[in-house]
Amino acid sequence: MASLTLENVTKVYRAKGQDLPAVKQLNMKIRDEEIIGLLGSSGCGKTSTLRMIAGFEDITEGTIRIGERAVNELRPATRNVAMAFEGYALYPPLKISDNIAFSLLRGRVPKADADKKVRMIAELLEIEDILERFPPNISGGQQQRVSLARALVRDADVHLLDEPMSQLEPQLRAVLRARIKDYIIQNHLTSVFVTHDQTEAVALADRIAVMSEGVLQQYGTPAELKETPRNVFIASFIGEPPMNLFDAEVVVEGASRRVQVLDHGGTATFAFSLPDEQEAPHTREALYNGRRIVLGIRPHRTSVGGTGSDDGAVAMTKGRVVSNQWLGDQTHLGVNIGGSFLIAVADRNVQAEEDSEIAIGLPVDALHFFDANTELAFLHGMRLAGV
Amino acid sequence: MAYLELEGISKSYGKTKVLDGVSLQIERGEALVVFGPSGCGKTVLLRLISGVLDPDDGDIRIDGQSVVDVGPEHRGVAMAFQNFALYPHLDAFENIASPLRARRFKDEEIKRRVHEIASLLRIDHVLDHTPRELSNGQKQRTSLARSLVHGPAVLMLDDPLRNVDAKLRYEMRLELPRVLKRYESTIIYVTQDYKEAMALGDRVGVLLEGNFHQVDKPTEVYGQPRDVRIANLFGDPPINLFPVRPERSGDGSLRASIGGTSVAMPAGRSDLAGKDCLIGVRPEDVEVHFDAVDQAIRAELDAVTPFNVRTVMLLKTSDETEILSSCPEDNTLETPRGRREVWAKIDMGKALYFDRATGTRL
Repeated sequence: MASLTLENVTKVYRAKGQDLPAVKQLNMKIRDEEIIGLLGSSGCGKTSTLRMIAGFEDITEGTIRIGERAVNELRPATRNVAMAFEGYALYPPLKISDNIAFSLLRGRVPKADADKKVRMIAELLEIEDILERFPPNISGGQQQRVSLARALVRDADVHLLDEPMSQLEPQLRAVLRARIKDYIIQNHLTSVFVTHDQTEAVALADRIAVMSEGVLQQYGTPAELKETPRNVFIASFIGEPPMNLFDAEVVVEGASRRVQVLDHGGTATFAFSLPDEQEAPHTREALYNGRRIVLGIRPHRTSVGGTGSDDGAVAMTKGRVVSNQWLGDQTHLGVNIGGSFLIAVADRNVQAEEDSEIAIGLPVDALHFFDANTELAFLHGMRLAGV
Repeated sequence: MAYLELEGISKSYGKTKVLDGVSLQIERGEALVVFGPSGCGKTVLLRLISGVLDPDDGDIRIDGQSVVDVGPEHRGVAMAFQNFALYPHLDAFENIASPLRARRFKDEEIKRRVHEIASLLRIDHVLDHTPRELSNGQKQRTSLARSLVHGPAVLMLDDPLRNVDAKLRYEMRLELPRVLKRYESTIIYVTQDYKEAMALGDRVGVLLEGNFHQVDKPTEVYGQPRDVRIANLFGDPPINLFPVRPERSGDGSLRASIGGTSVAMPAGRSDLAGKDCLIGVRPEDVEVHFDAVDQAIRAELDAVTPFNVRTVMLLKTSDETEILSSCPEDNTLETPRGRREVWAKIDMGKALYFDRATGTRL
């Protein structure tokens, strides 16, 4: 419906004479019709950001634009944004159908059209059987869906959704997420939703802005966040099971280059060689002797049990199976490799007894290298980070 | 003879029957996971076994002896909770050692046992830290170590991984079975997470509305659920359920209509002819093709929602039937946004069949 721009947006709360910065110099461009997830743990500044866009919080510094117009000084009602609140904020004396239709009717949508829209969105969110009831008489999860319905049916430049699906029961989650995503795309809505749940962000968003301590850590597509995490924080936050992360050290001996993995006490556990032929000068420079690093690999990028060829593209090592858990559509394995604990995921039922030895392949293009001090990524596979 | 036996246990609060004649047998050293949605009676069951509550009816036996009249402290049943509840003024070592000190173990034995479990749980390097200096993960492990260290005959764990972060949850899920086996305790583990139930249980008991609907190996509960409710509770995204009535076609084969397309039933299921049933198809058994393929259901792809290491797609057929498909993430193309035509191929050999009226698997 409209683009949205945040320029150097800062929020500082003042309490007991102290400045408490909540959002620091946030810069984001959200394209028309884009679905954006603001992701982070509680206190990261994501909700303050959403409330500044909506107009419920003053902007301490910076500018927020909807389309071309700066909205800093506009009251919430005149910004043309629709919001679904985390606390639902339904009108208790109004029936569910009237709650959903409220803004439509106030916006002079004809009654018949409003009714039609209410029925359509209620069906989509599986609340059509409670339309005649009142907010206090429905469950928290249902209230959340009503709040979401009320925001989604509105015509607005931007739709803001605060933790819109945190209460969904697991049996409804997959289908409702998909229906909502389809609805937003079909209706050309620009939407920003806040969530603490990375699975929800990855499922819905075109791009995700990950925040921590008021600072934007990375802003990119789900694939970018998974494949080129900017730092250790992003790497460990996105993906489930989370990325395996090991303390390690680069060892250079003549022409050969090894990664020596260490346990939490700094004792060497396992090592593997890096291929020579794939090394461009920039990787040689980055992988200097003695460099302390954090090595990352996603559980489902490891290969387990295969014979695997140590052809340079895949570093092979061996481990002992700690546990082997088949979950119906995937296997989760815990593997002890010389004292380091690796989580591996396979999309088949892996036959491997506990305590048996198992071959583990670590594809070089799936390895992530972070500097141990700055925790910033410097290589993804053999490609320089940030290039 | 089973080590822990429940026989016809009932418990009511006012007019609400929370547990209704529950029977269960758990072998010595077995890990049984009690799985069910909130309000199904899981917590009451644990309290009855621990002795904090008394059953209205039925018997509880440990090693052949009824313990209904035995006080909680004499049953040999230990309990670990969701919250860490460590002594703040004691370091991790002394927290873990406390049940041993209470039982007057010798210093040397205490040292040996604490170090053994600390190393299994990988907290041996923080034993001199106080709870305040421990990370949440280390606190969780310390708390678990304390409940295991004296080798309780029965250990009950009440949803211990519910509030921990993803990293710790997965690590613990994968490490816990080995640690529990090492201590040879008989384990009752309560969870609302079906993946945790499958990962940790030698067997899983599905508790619904005050009774066990199925007690079985995890692979059986997932692959051979006794009824449609169980099928629906195990799996994320959940199983697709299509109402059908299979009929004989002209050539004698049995066919049913799914999403407006006639699909052949697998051989040997002539029992389904003319019967109102639900076909259950797991999303991982639905293959999505972007070009026409034989024996496939034509549909519109409405949305692609990546889900952990897999990709979930929502399809809709011309008669508005929704189909969820799930495939490994690596196999998906960069799927463009918006709707497009696809063909869904269902592996009917893996489908489950339920009676539509009763929900029982056929």
